[in-house]
Amino acid sequence: MYEQDLYEHADVINELLARYGVKFGIYKNNVFKEQLFPFDAIPRIIPGDEFAELEKGLKQRVTALNLFLKDIYGKKQIVRDKVVPEEFVYASSGYLTECEGVTPVKDIYSHISGIDLVQAKNGEWYVLEDNLRVPSGASYPMIARKLCRRSSPDTFRNVRLEDNRNYAELLRRTMDHVNVGGHTVILTPGRYNAAYFEHSYLAECTGAHLVNGSELIVENDKLYYLDSNGNKERVGAVYRRISDEYLDPMTFNPESVIGISHIFDVYRKGNVALLNAPGNGIADDKGIYYFVPKMVEYYLNEEPILHNAPTYLPFYENDMKYVLEHFDQLVLKDVAEAGGYGVVFGSSMTKEQKESFIALLKAEPRRFIAQEVIDFKDLDIMDEGKRVPRKADLRAFVLMADEPLVWKSGLTRFSRNPESFIVNSSQGGGFKDTWVLSR
Amino acid sequence: MKNLRFRYEMQLQFDAPVKDHHFTLKCMPKSNERQTIRNMTELVHPSHSISRAEDSFGNLCIYGYTDEPHTLFEVVVEGEAVTGRAAWETAEDDCHLGRYRYATVYTKPGDKLKEYYQQHLAGSGTGTDLERSIALMHDLYRDFSYVQGVTTVNTTAEEALAGGRGVCQDYAHIMIALCRMAGIPARYVVGMLIGEGQSHAWVEIYDDGRWYGLDPTNDLIVDDQHIRISVGRDCYDCRINQGSFRGIPVCQTQTIRVFVEEMEEIKW
Amino acid sequence: MGFISITQVDELFWLGRYSERVYTTIRLFSKRYDIMLEQDSTYGEFCSMLEIPNIYTSAEDFKYRYAFDQENPDSIFSNLMRAYDNAIVLREEIGSETLSYIQLAIYEMNKAASSRAPMIEMQKVIDNILAFWGIADDSIDSEDSRNIIKIGKRVERIDLYARLKMPQAEMKREVDRLTGRIDRCSLHYRKEVLLRLNELVLEPQPDHHAIVHEIEQIVE
Repeated sequence: MYEQDLYEHADVINELLARYGVKFGIYKNNVFKEQLFPFDAIPRIIPGDEFAELEKGLKQRVTALNLFLKDIYGKKQIVRDKVVPEEFVYASSGYLTECEGVTPVKDIYSHISGIDLVQAKNGEWYVLEDNLRVPSGASYPMIARKLCRRSSPDTFRNVRLEDNRNYAELLRRTMDHVNVGGHTVILTPGRYNAAYFEHSYLAECTGAHLVNGSELIVENDKLYYLDSNGNKERVGAVYRRISDEYLDPMTFNPESVIGISHIFDVYRKGNVALLNAPGNGIADDKGIYYFVPKMVEYYLNEEPILHNAPTYLPFYENDMKYVLEHFDQLVLKDVAEAGGYGVVFGSSMTKEQKESFIALLKAEPRRFIAQEVIDFKDLDIMDEGKRVPRKADLRAFVLMADEPLVWKSGLTRFSRNPESFIVNSSQGGGFKDTWVLSR
Repeated sequence: MKNLRFRYEMQLQFDAPVKDHHFTLKCMPKSNERQTIRNMTELVHPSHSISRAEDSFGNLCIYGYTDEPHTLFEVVVEGEAVTGRAAWETAEDDCHLGRYRYATVYTKPGDKLKEYYQQHLAGSGTGTDLERSIALMHDLYRDFSYVQGVTTVNTTAEEALAGGRGVCQDYAHIMIALCRMAGIPARYVVGMLIGEGQSHAWVEIYDDGRWYGLDPTNDLIVDDQHIRISVGRDCYDCRINQGSFRGIPVCQTQTIRVFVEEMEEIKW
Repeated sequence: MGFISITQVDELFWLGRYSERVYTTIRLFSKRYDIMLEQDSTYGEFCSMLEIPNIYTSAEDFKYRYAFDQENPDSIFSNLMRAYDNAIVLREEIGSETLSYIQLAIYEMNKAASSRAPMIEMQKVIDNILAFWGIADDSIDSEDSRNIIKIGKRVERIDLYARLKMPQAEMKREVDRLTGRIDRCSLHYRKEVLLRLNELVLEPQPDHHAIVHEIEQIVE
């Protein structure tokens, strides 16, 4: 049926993706290379009812995370009430003291959140990671859908599914909601960034201007875009795709040449909206992750709809004991690392490795979390003409505008290596479209 | 209590013209429970756009931009201060003190700090946090030597302690690191001191709802000889001048001069 | 949005220049390729005509490295990649559809590089460049952006034609086309240079060397 039709056209679709430069950048031996992001034509299909449940859970989770950020950079009630131990906040590299007391426009911190989920064999969904800084990936399924519809019209005539090409509208609405007056721009570190395709494609689709740091300037507490005639155009919202550290050399890394001097001061005075807010890293810290379900209860007084993967904090004595006793069945993650790095499986270590790891764990218990290895529900991909199962995750996108909006799709990434559990694209995986069937 | 007149000067000299110069300056004292600042003026040259703000620690900042090519950038802050109005400052709520409790880049303990901590603080469980901190200050004053030129602005507490010599910044970092190891919230202070020709650094430690000033370089409990400019977790939060510019200067030289003198009693 | 930065003006201009350079040099190369079927050694002539260094060791070396060697800054492929470098940063200004033709030209160029009859795929490169110009003209919203690309194209063509010592009538036609358009965009150019160019092409035997010199400095 339609799957057949789609993968018969897989080559055509991949050719179209190549034509439109659907790539990501990667550094190999310090040389920048653009690579096509391999697309697998078999979609991930999520029934409408199932997604509706996910949607509720995602809205709830991101709402709680926003309240957490507001609290942490404000009154800190969750710390005072000892729901989150103080050291998990202040010893985290994601906490930025510069953001203390700074209130973003309309109290929105995480305008665009990428929540990484996996589905277990029993159908249960688990959140693996929250990405509240500069999550990327929405552009890929967005353009893939467009091209699949072109190459397999029969499929889309016969299946009723949610249209995911509206991501640009959702994003535009999110940006406009916080714009304080003036243009909306997308700030890119430049074409040698891994996600440059996405930056430029989202700019094209939303009608926002794609800019480099050197094209913006702060004067008299306002942010301006410099046009070719020397005119200054006021900017009211910046969807910035550069990390906090490089945003403003006056406040953060003084070596940054891709940022804008004093943009943080303008932001502090409420004269520009930054999407996402600086300092969000504290909420997507791997250590803080453990506490997200507790945040839902604490701030919303609701039962968390979405579950974390079963997680242990060696910081707590009981958890440490459990981790040491069940070491071989756990996956250990360094809270300071991202992108699939700093992840080790207890079972794959040699005796010596295990010993030195446990010594490190005991010396710096706050640095690690341990998780049960979830029995993933694999997804089929086409590999040289054969269907083979592979590990896959789902990055769901939640946009915070006048209300939380869940994009009825997502980025499904899969690992190419059948042994690998790591599906990060920087480690050589591919992607699928994510279909949400109409209810 | 003292009536002081202060003058803070900073000059940045470039050996070739620079332009598009952005700057953020934190060199203005602010009134608080302990000190009242009045008649303060600031001069920044060159500059064509100046703004003011407070950073997340409540420190006063002026920041701005000039596109005029220049080889000299100059700041002068002048004013009067009444100091020693209180022996402490009321602290923020306990849950806001977290940022002063954990190690930072400059105060991260290594073997030397751990060893020193064991010898001097670990067993001193008796007494208030203030008393323990004062005792620590005396020890540090005795064990560490004031020598200029052996450390740099980038020296960490661990490195400074290992070398045994340094300047006020190093004394402050070491003391902050040790206090935090003992669970005492501690913060870095930049300010001015009577009779000094340069800006000064000392620490504030927290005890029972109050911040107390301790000056380990001079083995002094801060009273009315110090004017506070800024506070932070370490010297990084208190950097006096942060700038970026375009141009090709090979070398920039920063000169800071501070004058603090007692004013004559105001006659009736 | 209706406003573009100095960097973007620059990128649009060079996108125009490099796309023209690829287009015209492929056409020249195609003629030379044909001549070389009998007269192997005439590539030196080609290099001196275009005023590029003759770094080639044989006819085969020339046919490959002038066309396809990306390490050779004068190669057609290098120039195509420079067009791409300018286009890729303009996606939101010129549109994915427009950009895709430069991308397609690169794929065809890659095929040509490993082909036994490279002129067949080179024709497809030309087809894509022509399609790129067509869609750029048709679909780019901003008239300013469209005009800057065209100015780039005109400037490059005058430069190349002058190097090729094209007759006066051809030179005049190209300079006229440039003159008619250059005021219609936000590109900052030197008016006195344009005046001198217009004088130079009125001579029955134009000083081609002087034209190259002038055109190279028309943009500020």
